[in-house]
Amino acid sequence: MRMLRNLSRRRLRTALTILGITIGIWALVVFGSMANRINDMVGKGSVYFQSGAISVWGGGGDTPKMNPLDLALEDRIKAIPDVDVVVPGVSMYLSDDNASMSMGLPPMITAQPAGLTTGRDTLILRAAAGRLLAASDEGSNVVVLGCDLARQYSKQVGDTITLRGEEFTVVGVLAQTQTQPDNSAMIPFAAEQRLYLTTLPSLVKANLTASNVVTGFQVYPKPGTSPDTITAQIKALSPELGTMTGADFDKLAGSYAAMLNSVLVGIGLISLAVGGLSVVNTMAMSIAERTREIGIKRAIGAGRIRIVREIVAESALIGCIGGTIGLALGALLVTLANEAGRSSGTILFELTAGTAISSVIFSTVLGAIAGFVPALHAARLDPVAALRYE
Amino acid sequence: MTAIANPIGHPARVMADATVATAPLLEGRNLRKTYRLGRRNTVEALRGVDVRIEPGEVVAIMGPSGSGKSTLMHILGLLHAPDRADGAAGGSDGLRPELSFGGRDVVALSDGERTKIRAREMGFVFQDFNLVPTLTALENVLLACDYADRGGRAARSAALEALEMVGLSERAGHRPAELSGGEQQRVAIARALVNRPALVLADEPTGNLDSARTGEVLGLLQRLNREHGQTFVLVTHDQEVGEACDRVIRMRDGLVRDEER
Repeated sequence: MRMLRNLSRRRLRTALTILGITIGIWALVVFGSMANRINDMVGKGSVYFQSGAISVWGGGGDTPKMNPLDLALEDRIKAIPDVDVVVPGVSMYLSDDNASMSMGLPPMITAQPAGLTTGRDTLILRAAAGRLLAASDEGSNVVVLGCDLARQYSKQVGDTITLRGEEFTVVGVLAQTQTQPDNSAMIPFAAEQRLYLTTLPSLVKANLTASNVVTGFQVYPKPGTSPDTITAQIKALSPELGTMTGADFDKLAGSYAAMLNSVLVGIGLISLAVGGLSVVNTMAMSIAERTREIGIKRAIGAGRIRIVREIVAESALIGCIGGTIGLALGALLVTLANEAGRSSGTILFELTAGTAISSVIFSTVLGAIAGFVPALHAARLDPVAALRYE
Repeated sequence: MTAIANPIGHPARVMADATVATAPLLEGRNLRKTYRLGRRNTVEALRGVDVRIEPGEVVAIMGPSGSGKSTLMHILGLLHAPDRADGAAGGSDGLRPELSFGGRDVVALSDGERTKIRAREMGFVFQDFNLVPTLTALENVLLACDYADRGGRAARSAALEALEMVGLSERAGHRPAELSGGEQQRVAIARALVNRPALVLADEPTGNLDSARTGEVLGLLQRLNREHGQTFVLVTHDQEVGEACDRVIRMRDGLVRDEER
């Protein structure tokens, strides 16, 4: 109560200081939520790869590409000892516009021959509405949409959707996975091969037949064998092939995520540092104004530690109030942005309880630290000089 | 209200007719204080003062501005320490300063130890009342309890009792800005008395009051001295205040010029 009365002595100044902290914590909450979301996507991707699958694609390099490969490679990979299952797949962007950089994961059209990976996937897909694709769907234009895509295009089971110029009937909508499938349209394998071919330049297309084209393979080693020995043998088949194991993915995605996280959290921390300095300024001014009062307190028997404690508690309160308001505003923005993004399929934020609690604790501690130097100054005042201070 | 036993344990009013030597409440010898204002500019505020305050006495320290009376009060009130004999600050004749309070040597105490004595065994009243503006009268008095590590219901009833003693129990919930100058000074006196200190030091306690209020405050101090044996040391310009005291120490140029009773 007494602290609040002290803070209310200069209402405008206190309000502005609290605003400084509020903005800092707001930024930290918003950017932190963005970082959470990115980490989550990476984490789920990691789960996908921990099935032990090795991704294989054409064109080499360290990151998956969607270059055409010959389906005949499947048998040569299968011939490698310790390879258990090989699943061919075709992936392409939903439209050519999506090929450019985008926040989050780009919308894709994907296909695998139905039923081949049974029992080996760790990221289990479930239909929230309708059903998943079955082997009997081959030859018909049906599609299962990821939840974000379905929301973006407002499609439900029974609706039709145009993909790369062909009409498809929606037979299912996936439950949320927090990673790539949310933004994917899954269609039968033969249809995908046909659509994919239309996206290629005519010179490339001339040498290919739709039924033989794939963009990659998922290779499952036999249980208990290391993926690394297999990747070496796959690469030996053709220098054109690129591979990625779970460990590779974690390393690559982890380094991207770490960089992005540090940028985001860095922005939040810089705003907080500015907010923290404004607390230092406020407390220093407030102490200068209260020099006499500190002199009285010292004279009638307040020890130095006592004075430090009073001032630090007051500035911690400023930090705590600012942090709480910042958290509330940040949570509001994150919720509104996610609601707005839901219709376009881009969920950018995830506010976790950990982020929320630690942001308020952090701002309180920051306030206390900011008050400490002015408090030490106040405690060192000579009571007699402070009493004479006008 | 019943008489309060003096915390130091001395019988009150010993000085009034004492011929028997008793232990003084406060005794200082060779007290010096030189303030350094600039590199070459020093002021010798005290140039070797001996002083002795008996329990139960009301003593006025008087003198013109710059005579060193406030400096003496700050040293007696443990707000400042006297200069050490090594003469680092200049003007020493090598005599060691001595200061004892309640029989304890207090010359070499640390800041923390002096603060503790101020909180528990001394009370302070200042010219400008010096109340904390955001706190009510009662909270201002409770502040002194708090610093003396007294809390809870006992502290609250002591604070209310102290306000009643100065006739302000009705105004316990008022902030300083809502009180008159005389009332504020009475709150300050209640704050100085709440811990039943051995000694109350007052720096120009009536300096900002008109003559009617001055009489009121003086009457209050005399009553507290009479009824509770409270020891007071007052620094004052005011002849009327001096005359109301048991003894007057007159100072000039950093020295005690004479004492009168």
